[in-house]
Amino acid sequence: MSRLSIEKPWQRWLIRFGVFVAMAILCVPGLWVVLTAFRPNIEVLARPAVWIPQNPTLDNFARLFGLSSAQQGLPVAQYFVNSLVISITSTLVAVVIGMAGGYAFARYRFKGKATLFLAFMLSRTVPGVALSLPLFIIWARLGIIDTSFGLIVVYMAINIPFTIWLTDGFFRQIPVDLSEAAQIDGCTPWQAFWRIEFPLARSGLASAAIFAFLTSWNEYALASQLTRTTASKTMPVGLMDFTAQFTVDWTGMSAMAVLIIIPALVLTFIVQKHLIAGLTFGGVK
Amino acid sequence: MATDVQVLQRPTLSEGITAFFRSPRAVPYLLLMPAMIVILAVVLVPLLVSFWTSFTSYNLTRPDTLYNFVGLRNYQRLLGNDEFWWAFGRTFLFVTITLNVEMMLGLGLALLVNKITYGQRALRTIMMFPMMFSPILVGFQFKYIFNDSIGLVNNALFDLGLITQPIPWLVDGTLANFSIMFAEVWMSTSIFAILLLAGLMALPKEPIEAAKVDGCNPWQVFRHITLPFLMPFVYIAMTIRSLDVARAYDMIRIMTNGGPAGRTELIWTLMTRTGYQNSQMGAANAMGYVSIILSIVFTFYFYRKLTAARTFMGGAQ
Amino acid sequence: MAQVRLEKVSKSYGKLETVHGIDLEIAHNEFVVLVGPSGCGKSTTLRMIAGLEEITGGTISIGDRVVNDLPPRARNISMVFQSYALYPHMTVRDNLGFGLKIANMPETEIKTRVDEAAEILGLGPYMDRLPANLSGGQRQRVAMGRAIVRNPDVFLFDEPLSNLDAKLRGQMRVEIKKLHQRVQTTVIYVTHDQVEAMTLADRIVIMRDGNIEQIGTPSEVFEHPVNVFVAGFIGSPPMNLLDASVTGDKAVLDDGVEVPLPAGCNVREGQQIVLGFRPESFAPKGHSLHGDAGALTLRRVVAIAEPLGTETILYVSLGGMDVQGKMLNPRVVHPGEELDFTLDLTRLHVFDKAFGRSVRA
Ligand SMILES: Nc1ncnc2c1ncn2[C@@H]1O[C@H](COP(=O)(O)OP(=O)(O)O)[C@@H](O)[C@H]1O
Ligand SMILES: [Mg+2]
Repeated sequence: MSRLSIEKPWQRWLIRFGVFVAMAILCVPGLWVVLTAFRPNIEVLARPAVWIPQNPTLDNFARLFGLSSAQQGLPVAQYFVNSLVISITSTLVAVVIGMAGGYAFARYRFKGKATLFLAFMLSRTVPGVALSLPLFIIWARLGIIDTSFGLIVVYMAINIPFTIWLTDGFFRQIPVDLSEAAQIDGCTPWQAFWRIEFPLARSGLASAAIFAFLTSWNEYALASQLTRTTASKTMPVGLMDFTAQFTVDWTGMSAMAVLIIIPALVLTFIVQKHLIAGLTFGGVK
Repeated sequence: MATDVQVLQRPTLSEGITAFFRSPRAVPYLLLMPAMIVILAVVLVPLLVSFWTSFTSYNLTRPDTLYNFVGLRNYQRLLGNDEFWWAFGRTFLFVTITLNVEMMLGLGLALLVNKITYGQRALRTIMMFPMMFSPILVGFQFKYIFNDSIGLVNNALFDLGLITQPIPWLVDGTLANFSIMFAEVWMSTSIFAILLLAGLMALPKEPIEAAKVDGCNPWQVFRHITLPFLMPFVYIAMTIRSLDVARAYDMIRIMTNGGPAGRTELIWTLMTRTGYQNSQMGAANAMGYVSIILSIVFTFYFYRKLTAARTFMGGAQ
Repeated sequence: MAQVRLEKVSKSYGKLETVHGIDLEIAHNEFVVLVGPSGCGKSTTLRMIAGLEEITGGTISIGDRVVNDLPPRARNISMVFQSYALYPHMTVRDNLGFGLKIANMPETEIKTRVDEAAEILGLGPYMDRLPANLSGGQRQRVAMGRAIVRNPDVFLFDEPLSNLDAKLRGQMRVEIKKLHQRVQTTVIYVTHDQVEAMTLADRIVIMRDGNIEQIGTPSEVFEHPVNVFVAGFIGSPPMNLLDASVTGDKAVLDDGVEVPLPAGCNVREGQQIVLGFRPESFAPKGHSLHGDAGALTLRRVVAIAEPLGTETILYVSLGGMDVQGKMLNPRVVHPGEELDFTLDLTRLHVFDKAFGRSVRA
């Protein structure tokens, strides 16, 4: 509906101004943090405020990885690896399991279907903080507290319902005819799935995977209780650790924030188109 | 009559189950089995444990208290606990206000961006920024920006000469509440804007043109054509959002952690404080249950609306 | 040799039975068309033959094998879907060769057979395109090509032409007919369009509400419909069907017009009947298909005239209804004009009103 209404020039400028302000509000906070990550600490504390970085530096990042002469704060490299391992593993498993579930919802009629679907969705509504309390008790007794495995399992569970929701939507967009045609062409149902339906749902699965990855990568409430040491602490937990120290290290934290945001940013750009399609189709169709 | 000729061997239960899992009817259940097992193990069983715990005086420091059944005492105490009621009321208000503000702003933003012809894709990408931010990052970012001595906001106000004394954004109770809501709205308005924009772009042209021919003014077109069409998208966004309203916990944890003096204490921060810092797991789990029910009620409400709107749309097309 | 045999085949969805124990025998190389109104169970029947739906009751055999429990891939059939069901992520060439590849046929042989099919269907220039970049007619050809490369025992078509415009539909009809003559395979073809059925079929199976109403060659079902449903369904414009009652050897229409009944009708005095005649048998004097001998002459006012070029359809009132007549070698006729019409009495159809069955000898 791009050119349905005819605007007067002043209206057009008003719209552009409004959009500009909104975008500024969305961008500036993040940009400010990024800028801070490349500033020396003195510049942050300076009065009057220094707006443009005068002495851009990579020192904050070097410090995070213990490469600088300055005192080393946190084992950020280890946190980064933990975060990657936990997020990727839980995402892969959640997507495989969720895809099977989404396919079942998209392609079969069975007893209790609607109830089961709702149950999956409601399982996702349980707040992480509330879930962390009993999980803490059980995981402690099972001895999987402060292990990557313990957190991977939890993130799988968090991501499965949403993956089911998304893949259900994507599979329903693929006509059943295609799988049937493949079976007549000589495929087993299993072959028909992998050769026809899977390739066609690939973009949807990619977006489901990104969502799952982002959720795991960004999660804090559960990770903060279920991890204890460098053995399993993730980046968000590490970021919080900064504030626990006596003096707030704004530049160090900003550098860590940049490290957290970069993978998320890259992934989101790659699949942004599918992301929106996935959300809307899953819901409306 | 041959009623007694057939000697039917009734299958035993295990035979029946085996037969079922070999039949095609079992396929969807088999496909869903792994998902069900994981959810069962990681959500349902813990919920049962937490349900049990909420009836005990379980204290983390004394493990045997897990079996110390105290009936409804935790819940009774909650009911008589002002701190809890304040947190509960604040949480309810927080969720209601932010969801509504996000919806209105998201709609406004979607309408604005929809009017822009050039660079719409770039704008959409920018709108996705906050979606990929970890809530803890959002919290950190606003903790930094709203810092009274070195924060961006105060710095800007100083340099523009609008203030001479720093504004205590996170130190004053009222301002702190405003700040966390601002952060929350910043974080989640995008979801609404993006989904509603997708809705606007999918809007069929004919009904709008017909309405114009019928003499509707722009407001009437919006009110009677555009808005009803957008409603399912609003509900999807609402459902997705209410699924994890509790992620605001992460953000508040780093920004104020319930402070100053409990003025931004929400049910989620109170719960962790009670459970982990004060080790009163029983009481914390009782609060946990209240928060779970709160989340489910919100989500279920919008999910029902979504289903209704979806069937309505299905019928209209 | 692949004859197809259905014995008492039925299909239920839950408690609801949608196909009620139908019997059908299809000879090797025969082109059989299942036709009937939408929702009558044609697709369900075809899909049971294909193995895409479970069979609730009865047996289906292809060749000498009972295929009830065989999956589609084991039945050596191919099917053209209404939606074409082309694999969107594969080029035309890959679409055509997919079944052969699944069967592990050597690349060179796949290429030979795919090229041969492409040659037959004129797909040569499009082999490297994706389905999304083809026109409707081209997609239709690819779907048929995919079916023929596999050299199946039986071809199944489910309304393959219904997504095409009228002109293309006519062309493709001819192509399908040619194709059948060329590849010599048993064909089962589903359509709701009786014109398609009449032009393509060796034998037509007319279905209604999950039952078979009549099986016969196109001329049999056209000339001798066994009941009112078939009579009204086959033929375009449709047969005129008028209520009447038997008086002596005449049928009296509702407006009192008397029509002599053909000899040998199995009717009683006073019986309520339905009298049927095709527009071809009702024409202004001198314009009818079979001449005016043995015809009843009725003077009627033309209500509407629809000129169609080589013929004109005339609407007049008879027996309290609007009936259609077909005027061959037409001249200009104006509404309101009064003409002498002849009703060809040798081509009357007579049905009892209670059961709709034909009572003509
Ligand atoms: N999966 C299904 N579940 C329930 N009823 C069905 C299903 N598929 C088809 N039917 C019903 O079976 C009847 C026959 O359908 P179909 O064979 O598709 O008719 P058509 O002759 O138009 O091809 C219809 O009344 C339809 O509603
Ligand atoms: Mg059909």
